[in-house]
Amino acid sequence: MKRTLFIIKITFTLLVLALAIFPVILSSHPWPEASRDYLYEHALTDTGAVNTVSSIYLGYRAMDTLGETLVLLVSITGTMGILINLGRESEEEEAVSFSLAPEKRPTNAQRTHLLEVVSSKLGPVVLLFGFYVMLYGHISPGGGFQGGVIVASAIVFLALGTETQTKLTNTNVLGRIEALSFLVLIVAATSGVFFESGFFGNPIKSGSSLSANFIILLNIIIGLKVGTSIAVMCIAMMGGRRGH
Amino acid sequence: MTILLLFMILALGCFALLSRDLLHSVIALSALSMLSALMFTILRAPDVAITEAAVGAGVSTIIFVWAIRHTRRRSKD
Repeated sequence: MKRTLFIIKITFTLLVLALAIFPVILSSHPWPEASRDYLYEHALTDTGAVNTVSSIYLGYRAMDTLGETLVLLVSITGTMGILINLGRESEEEEAVSFSLAPEKRPTNAQRTHLLEVVSSKLGPVVLLFGFYVMLYGHISPGGGFQGGVIVASAIVFLALGTETQTKLTNTNVLGRIEALSFLVLIVAATSGVFFESGFFGNPIKSGSSLSANFIILLNIIIGLKVGTSIAVMCIAMMGGRRGH
Repeated sequence: MTILLLFMILALGCFALLSRDLLHSVIALSALSMLSALMFTILRAPDVAITEAAVGAGVSTIIFVWAIRHTRRRSKD
């Protein structure tokens, strides 16, 4: 009885999927070309970027990028609120931490030599790659968000691998960098207003050779914001916040 | 090549949905992210591929593993 019900559910799901997907596959509608040609003609001169992709996501669609960082900020705030309250309720039980010194750590069951060696050696390389992706986002694939996430995973690697707590894995320092970079993002977005190019507009005129610097600045700020906020959340989930 | 990758992604997604062990599901999701990053690279969207690899295979796997460690690993029903 249960098995026939399962099979009926599966066939129903496949039928609905087929109804939804097959019109998309079978249609012979041509790809829209107007916006592509418009972007090919005007994208670089409108926004002052060097690359069409970055001209879209930090020029035409910069509002979406601001919205993404806001969504990330709200979700990190909610997670940190839940985690702090959890720590208050059960202060003693299960404070298994990876970023504490060995004598303060209650159990060493989760920490092995393999983890320490691999992640502490891999961390700096990943950190360098993350900053590369962040800083060269205006001419090569990548950008602020991608580089920021790679930087966050590098910080998590370093928090897993090193025994002593450094400035890089301290949640207070990381949280301050996050707040400061969000403030600088708002200020940089408003700066276009004073140069007649509107909110999130490029304040440097696009004819000059310096106009890509605004894109580089936005990439760095967004990367720092995303990287530090995700790293703060991961370190707090590991229990590193209770250590100091 | 793209069709093969799509079918492998579909198989991994079905495995992640149907598996009883949540840790196996998380590893299958991580492999799914790596395969879709490969597919994005083939389809000439390298920035989407970087995002998918960093978010899907890196950070979300860490967060899922942590959540599983603090709850139960096997699903009961």
